[in-house]
Amino acid sequence: MRSRDLVRKELAELFAARSFWLLLLIAGLLAGQSFISAVNAYAEASNPRALAQGLSPLEGILTPTLGAYDLAITLLFPFVAIRLIAAEKSSDALKLMLQWPVRLGAQIAAKAVALLVAWTISLIPFAVALALWKSYGGALHAPEVVNVLAGYTLRFLLTAALAMAAAAVMPGAANAAIVVLGFTIGTWALDFIAAGHGGIVQTLASYTPAAMLRGFERGLFRADVAIVLIVFSLLGFAIAAIWLHLGRSVRARLVRTAIAAGAAVVIATIATRIDTSFDVSENHRNSFAAADAQALSRIAEPLHVTIFLAAEDPRMNDFASNVLVKLRRSVSRLRVDYPFAGRTGLFDNDDRYGEIHYRLGAKSAMSRSTTEEIVLETIYGLAGIAPPRREESSYAGHPLQTRPAGAAWIFYALWPALVVTAFSALRNRRTG
Amino acid sequence: MSLAVARLSARRGAREVLTGVSFSAHPAQILGVIGPNGAGKTTLFECVAGVLPYARGEVTGAERFYVPDAIRPWPDQSVRWTLDLFGAADDALLGELDLLRLLRAPVGTLSKGEAKRLGLALGLAVPRPVLLLDEPFDGLDLRQTRQVMDVLRRDAASGRTLVLSIHQLSDAARVCDRFLLLDRGRSVAEGTLAELGGNLEEAFLALT
Repeated sequence: MRSRDLVRKELAELFAARSFWLLLLIAGLLAGQSFISAVNAYAEASNPRALAQGLSPLEGILTPTLGAYDLAITLLFPFVAIRLIAAEKSSDALKLMLQWPVRLGAQIAAKAVALLVAWTISLIPFAVALALWKSYGGALHAPEVVNVLAGYTLRFLLTAALAMAAAAVMPGAANAAIVVLGFTIGTWALDFIAAGHGGIVQTLASYTPAAMLRGFERGLFRADVAIVLIVFSLLGFAIAAIWLHLGRSVRARLVRTAIAAGAAVVIATIATRIDTSFDVSENHRNSFAAADAQALSRIAEPLHVTIFLAAEDPRMNDFASNVLVKLRRSVSRLRVDYPFAGRTGLFDNDDRYGEIHYRLGAKSAMSRSTTEEIVLETIYGLAGIAPPRREESSYAGHPLQTRPAGAAWIFYALWPALVVTAFSALRNRRTG
Repeated sequence: MSLAVARLSARRGAREVLTGVSFSAHPAQILGVIGPNGAGKTTLFECVAGVLPYARGEVTGAERFYVPDAIRPWPDQSVRWTLDLFGAADDALLGELDLLRLLRAPVGTLSKGEAKRLGLALGLAVPRPVLLLDEPFDGLDLRQTRQVMDVLRRDAASGRTLVLSIHQLSDAARVCDRFLLLDRGRSVAEGTLAELGGNLEEAFLALT
C-alpha cells in the first residue's frame, strides 16, 4: 500500500467520523462569535476619543478570532485524533493493519497528514473572517497572519501527537481523553505557577502551549519554541507508533519509548539555547527602536535584573510584556530574578516591594518604573553609554469603525448548513 | 512445511496461557486447532500472526495473515471500501459468500454472520501462503457453513495453508485434514483423524 493510499484511507475515516463534523460546526460558530465580538470591540476602540492610535488588527481581530481555535484545539480536536486510533484498536482493525506490509511509522504519518487536513478545513471560518475583515476595509499584515497561523498549527500538531500517543498507550478512548485533558490542565497550572518565577520553572513554562501561543500572538517567532514544539510533536507520533506495535512486549515498548523521549529531551534542551527570533509584528512591539537595539547590543557585560514584584502585580505584567521581551532580544547576557514571585503583593510590608534592581558589572541602580524609556535610561547610565537619538514610531495603527455586516448570517446560518449538507452528502456517497 | 511453531509460550498479564506449544502446517492442507474455551486458541493465533508477543519459542515459515474472530473493522465504512483496502476480492468469491448485496452497507450494521463472511473475504483476498482464521463458522447457519467450507477447501486445494480455530468438533471433522488439540495452553495431540483414533469427539474427551 502506497503512502497516498494510506492517507486516502485515513481521510475516509476522518470524514466518516461524526466527531469531525461536529468539530467543524462548533469551530465555525465559535470563530464567528469571536470575530463578531472582536469587530465590535475594535470599532469602539477606534473612536478617536478612545484609544484609536496604534490599534493593531493582530491584537484586535486576529488573536481574538483565533482564540476560538485555542478552545477547539484544547477541547475538541483531541477527540477527533483519539478516534483515529482508538476505533481501530477497539474494532480489532489494528490487528489487520499490523499485518500489512507497511511500517507503523508510515501509518501514523498518514494519520498525522489526515489530521492536518482536518485542521486546514477547520480554518475555513477563520479565512472567511479575514476576507470579511478586508471587505470592511480592515488592514492585515501578511507576516503577522502567517506567523500566528504557524503558531496555532504547531499548537495543533502537539495536541494531535499527544492525543495519538495517549490513544495508543491507554486502553479505551475515554482513558486517552482523560490523559490529554489532564496534560492540558497540567500545562495551565504550570503556566499559572510559573508567572513571575525565574529559573527552571519559568523556562519550562515558556514552552507550554499557552505560553508559546502568546509569543506568536504578539508577532514574535522564536526558533527555539518552534523547534521544541516540533520535537515533542514528533515524540508523540513516535510513541503512538511504538505502542501500537502489539507484537512487541511491554518491556520492549517501554525501552523504545525511553530512548525516543531521551533523544527528544536532549534535542529540545539544545534547542532552548537557540536565541534566534524574528519580530514580524507591523508595529515592532517586540523590539526596541533600532538605535536602542544597536546601543544595547554593544553592552558586553552581563546585565542582572532583580524584580521585587509579585506575579499578580499589574506592573509585573507591564514590565514583562513591554520591556523584558525586548531586553531578551537585545541584550545577549541577561539574567532576571524574581525574589517576590509567589507572593500576592497585596499586603507586602517589605520595603523593597516595587523596586527593580539593575546590575551591570560592578555598577548597580534601582528604579520603580516599568516604562521602556526609564528602564533604557537606567541601563545606559550603568553602561556609560549616551542614550541614542530615537525617531518617533511611524506606526499609526489601523483604527476602523465598522459593523460586522453579514457575519452573523455566514457563521450562524450558512456555515452550519454547509457542514450538515457536506456530512450528509459524503455519508450518502459512502453507503447510500 | 509452510508453518512451524516450536515450544511457544505466552502470557496474558501474570497468567501463562500457552506453554510450549509446537505444531506444523503444510501447503494445501487445512489444520484445525480445537480445544475447549480458554484453551489458548486465539492467543496462539495472535502470537503466530505477530500481533501478540510471546515469551519463548519460535515461529518460522511462510508469510501469514490472520483474521480475528468477531471482527467489524472500520464500522463507519462500507463493505466495498473495506474489501478494496485489502485488494480486489473477485465477484465470484463475494457471490459465494453472499456479500454482493451488502457492498454499500456500513460494516457496523452487519449481522454477526455477515461480519464473519466479510472477515473471510478479507482473509481470502490477501495473497499470503498461510491464512489463520479464528472461528470461521461461528455465526453462520448450516447452509452458509457448508458454502464456506467449500470455499475454504477450494482455497486450500490451490496450495494455500489454512489454519482454523474451531470449537464445533463436527465442523472441524468435516473440513480439516489434520488437527491440533489444545488444552489449558498445551498441545496434547496432533495428527489426522485416523491418527487420532478415527473419532474426534472421543479423542477430544479423552485428551482434554
